[in-house]
Amino acid sequence: MTNNLDRVELSLVGRKRSERLFKFYGFLGILIAFLFLITILYSVISQGQKAFFTTFIKVNIFFDSEIIDPQNQRNDEDIRYANFNKIITESLKKKFPENLNKNDSKELSSFISSSEADYLSEFVVKNKDYIGKYKNMWLLASSNIDVIVKNPEMEDLDEEDRLISDKQLGWLNQIRLNKELKKELNKNFFTKADSTEPEQAGIWGSLVGSFLTLLITLILSFPVAVAAGVFLEELAPKNKFTEFLEVNINNLAAVPSIIFGLLGLAIFLNIMHLPRSAPIVGGMVLALMTLPTIIIATRSSLKSVPPSIREAAIGLGATRFQSVVDHVLPLAIPGIMTGTIIGMSRALGESAPLLMIGMVAFIVDVPTTFLDSSTALPVQIYLWKSTAARGFVELTAAGVIVLLVFLILMNGLAVFIRQKFEKKW
Amino acid sequence: MGFWSFFFIIVFLGLTTQWYGTNKALKLNSNIKEGPKLPSLPSYYGANAFLWLVISVLLFLIVWVFSKPHILDYILIQNIPKALIDEFGGTPNMLIDIIKATDISNIFPGTNPIIIENALYYNKIDKLSDSIAYSIILFVGLTVSIFSINRISFLFKARQAVEKTNINLLILCSTIAIIATIGIILSLIFEALRFFEKVNFFDFLFGFNWSPQTAIREGQVASDGAFGAIPIFSGTLLITFVAMFVAIPIGLFSAIYLAEYAKPSVRSTFKPILEILAGVPTVVYGFFAAITVGPFLKNFVGEFGFTIASESAIAAGGVMGIMIIPFISSLSDDVIRAVPQNLRDGSYAMGATKSETVKKIILPAALPGIMGAVLLAISRAIGETMIVVMAAGIAANLTLNPFESVTTVTVQIVTLLVGDQEFDSAKTLAAFALGITLFFATLFLNIIALRIVQKYREKYD
Amino acid sequence: MAEKIKISTKKVNVFYGDKKALENINLEIPEKKVTSLIGPSGCGKSTFIRCLNRMNDTIDICRIEGKIIIDNEDIYSKEIDPVLLRAKVGMVFQKPNPFPKSIFENVAYGPRIHGLAKSDDELDELVTQSLVKAGLFQEIKDRIHEPGTSLSGGQQQRLCIARTIAISPQIILMDEPCSALDPIATAVIEELIDELAKNFTIVIVTHSMQQAARVSQQTAFFHMGNLIEVGRTDQIFSTPSQKKTQDYITGKIG
Repeated sequence: MTNNLDRVELSLVGRKRSERLFKFYGFLGILIAFLFLITILYSVISQGQKAFFTTFIKVNIFFDSEIIDPQNQRNDEDIRYANFNKIITESLKKKFPENLNKNDSKELSSFISSSEADYLSEFVVKNKDYIGKYKNMWLLASSNIDVIVKNPEMEDLDEEDRLISDKQLGWLNQIRLNKELKKELNKNFFTKADSTEPEQAGIWGSLVGSFLTLLITLILSFPVAVAAGVFLEELAPKNKFTEFLEVNINNLAAVPSIIFGLLGLAIFLNIMHLPRSAPIVGGMVLALMTLPTIIIATRSSLKSVPPSIREAAIGLGATRFQSVVDHVLPLAIPGIMTGTIIGMSRALGESAPLLMIGMVAFIVDVPTTFLDSSTALPVQIYLWKSTAARGFVELTAAGVIVLLVFLILMNGLAVFIRQKFEKKW
Repeated sequence: MGFWSFFFIIVFLGLTTQWYGTNKALKLNSNIKEGPKLPSLPSYYGANAFLWLVISVLLFLIVWVFSKPHILDYILIQNIPKALIDEFGGTPNMLIDIIKATDISNIFPGTNPIIIENALYYNKIDKLSDSIAYSIILFVGLTVSIFSINRISFLFKARQAVEKTNINLLILCSTIAIIATIGIILSLIFEALRFFEKVNFFDFLFGFNWSPQTAIREGQVASDGAFGAIPIFSGTLLITFVAMFVAIPIGLFSAIYLAEYAKPSVRSTFKPILEILAGVPTVVYGFFAAITVGPFLKNFVGEFGFTIASESAIAAGGVMGIMIIPFISSLSDDVIRAVPQNLRDGSYAMGATKSETVKKIILPAALPGIMGAVLLAISRAIGETMIVVMAAGIAANLTLNPFESVTTVTVQIVTLLVGDQEFDSAKTLAAFALGITLFFATLFLNIIALRIVQKYREKYD
Repeated sequence: MAEKIKISTKKVNVFYGDKKALENINLEIPEKKVTSLIGPSGCGKSTFIRCLNRMNDTIDICRIEGKIIIDNEDIYSKEIDPVLLRAKVGMVFQKPNPFPKSIFENVAYGPRIHGLAKSDDELDELVTQSLVKAGLFQEIKDRIHEPGTSLSGGQQQRLCIARTIAISPQIILMDEPCSALDPIATAVIEELIDELAKNFTIVIVTHSMQQAARVSQQTAFFHMGNLIEVGRTDQIFSTPSQKKTQDYITGKIG
């Protein structure tokens, strides 16, 4: 007998070790998942935060009347068509007293974003007094310059890997020494739509696109899903048809999102001839995807309303329908809202089906109606990621940050509603 | 008549109908001094009239929205000179798109004057047709509301009618799930059948060569691309395998730790973290895979003197694995916690350690449920799009080496369909053939998995 | 009484969170005898028996004060490994809980994890012996590789007993082992308990006073978390010294 316990004791050393090891593996699993999350967030935030600020260069602009208005007529149209790029280049040249050849001035002119010529022409049209005069102005730097300023470690790269030449780097350092360089909030990012130039591209267009799309999604999916949920949970008779319905809804929830895109392409675009790239089509596709989520949420929050409430209403002579609409449904609303917000936040992050219906185009205008060509927030991220120019890397990460912020807000709202309004029976 | 004026007229008409119907019923009731009044409450008579108005207007509006593009396109084609159509390759579709896209308030200099003329014409018929349609719908609505107000009488049971209509509406909403499924299946099958007219079914399913990027221009009839999907399926499976290789151990061990080892406080900290991982949009994972993991692996493997493709299967699959972790861990957590406590007690009472109990009692008992979770996860992985579109390759590459670049079904669907497309080419239709393969594969996995999980639940209920 | 004391508890208090489940329990349990714990449900008798092999360790909110001494060792002292303790103090539960494995694997589970059999033959022998001792072998010898869950309730409970004695514990705790069984199966188990008492110290929780009277030599009566009375079984049932015991036995409380 004691012999037995001795053997058990003997076996314990190895067993204790494997016990510790196993527990460690379990903890390691959690830890790795946690580290992945941290890594993802770190890589996104460390790159993305750079895009929220952009570089400006101070230039003493000479509004040369020879270039702007040689005939001295002060005509708006003529001023608009004047070569303001040349004005910028000539003004930049004055910073560097050494003789610059033609090639140099080309390299120099690429310091400033191409959008600034338009900015200056509008400025002059409004302030014609400046023609022939000097004015110190902060001009938006081009993306290449911006990238170098934000990533100083790139200065050590070889010339061909660096985006700017040795000569340009020299000029840049001189500008920096003269304190003619500043970083400011990147207004373009928050107010513009897409652009071929990273420093002029913004998230606003796709944000509006996402908003319009989600509005359609909400309008279409919410009433339908709640109606379906109420029917299936409260009123449906138990028969083959409702069983089939439930199987269908469960399967629909598991269909890969891209398949919904194919459906949208084949039916909404090719058969119904609805416009390509439009929020209305995107919204319809996402509504089909979101439907099962809201139906399931509706059903589970209806289920949590105690049967005594239905019985009380029916006992007072209400019909089954009246008891549900007047008494059960209002009690289930916080749960339905929570489920709806979560469904919407999923729809906000969804991009694959939108690629199929053409919401993946290069769109420079902020959409205003449901029929305009548009992109969506996650699709814009995908588009920027697929663009080769170096300046888009940070922009992409910044787009991800914006997307995550919206998701956090939506989920936070859902949690808030759940905690504040949901009753525990 | 613009949409908004139409909308407000309809709202006004609806409210008036409701008010008038209710009032009429009230009046009928007040005339009765003795004996039975109306069989339902007066407000139900108003509601009934309102409901019929709204339903008929909505019905007609939907019909109009879906038929309008067809009607307008037809009228427009009649108006376009034949010569212009020929100039655009004989198919009017692209021309129509151009005309519709022309912004008449801001015409681009150098636009073909016939196109401008047609754009103006299109704009005109667009507005005109809307006005006509809205007027007809208004007329229909008015007729319906007059008719339903006339129906108010002592023989008419309004409450029953209203509830019956409402319940029928609810049923209609519920059937949308079925309609969507049928829509998916029909649209996929229809386009896929057109594909299989051009490409042999078995060549598609068992062919080893995939290069659809040919015959882009019209008239290049002879050089149809090759559509052997085996390399795509193998690529999908390779990436899925890599994903499972990451997700199953991490997810399962996390679930075991959370269910068996973690104190309630630890559990309530770490579970939300896994849920956050599940809530991260796939496009973010794709960005992470392409921008961070890809270059990192390239440098890391390079240190050891190996080479790795920049869009390697291991980068895309690995990140997809991270995405799947919370999926596996939360499903397994449920399954493990469903194992009855008395089995654990039995094992502990024998002097088993926790890990022995988990390995020898709990996991074998939970195995079917975990299998179901893994199948669901696999179905998730093969249907996942954005990660692979952003981080996996495009070229179909038949290999089992995870360091090489492979492509997947979803990547091919996206590549084939994004950009300019002519809807008769085998290239675009191939996407639908892939789509239907994907649909049935995931459907099959889901049905099996749900069956297994359900059986498992019944066993321990 | 000239018997050797196997287990003795001193001033044992047990709490679930803030709730006190047991208060000041002092009890001595003699070796190779059957001791039964009786009392109305919720009186703490199950809690008490689960303290004796530290099964309450698996419940997070459970806290224990006082000393429980088995063979001169306090089982709640830091040096004691609960795994080793449970190899010495086996337990049979209220609801038969065979593992979802074959009958053979159920019995072989303990010897396997503890490394008690050196060879397959030895393991076979051990399993057979345990099944024989549990009185189950004759009934199931042809289907020893069928799932343990395919047995009837009474057979399942005897399988659990076989499983427990396969690791040769010194003490067997039984927590209402017959409450889920029919009278015939119960009679078989009671016979088995008599037989086992020759070799093992047995502590049995039961809600049936008749059962306590039939199988045990010593009986302890619990009420509202307190040990009211303990003594020889015949004496408890004939001449209880406490009023509460009297009331319970005569059915006035419970």
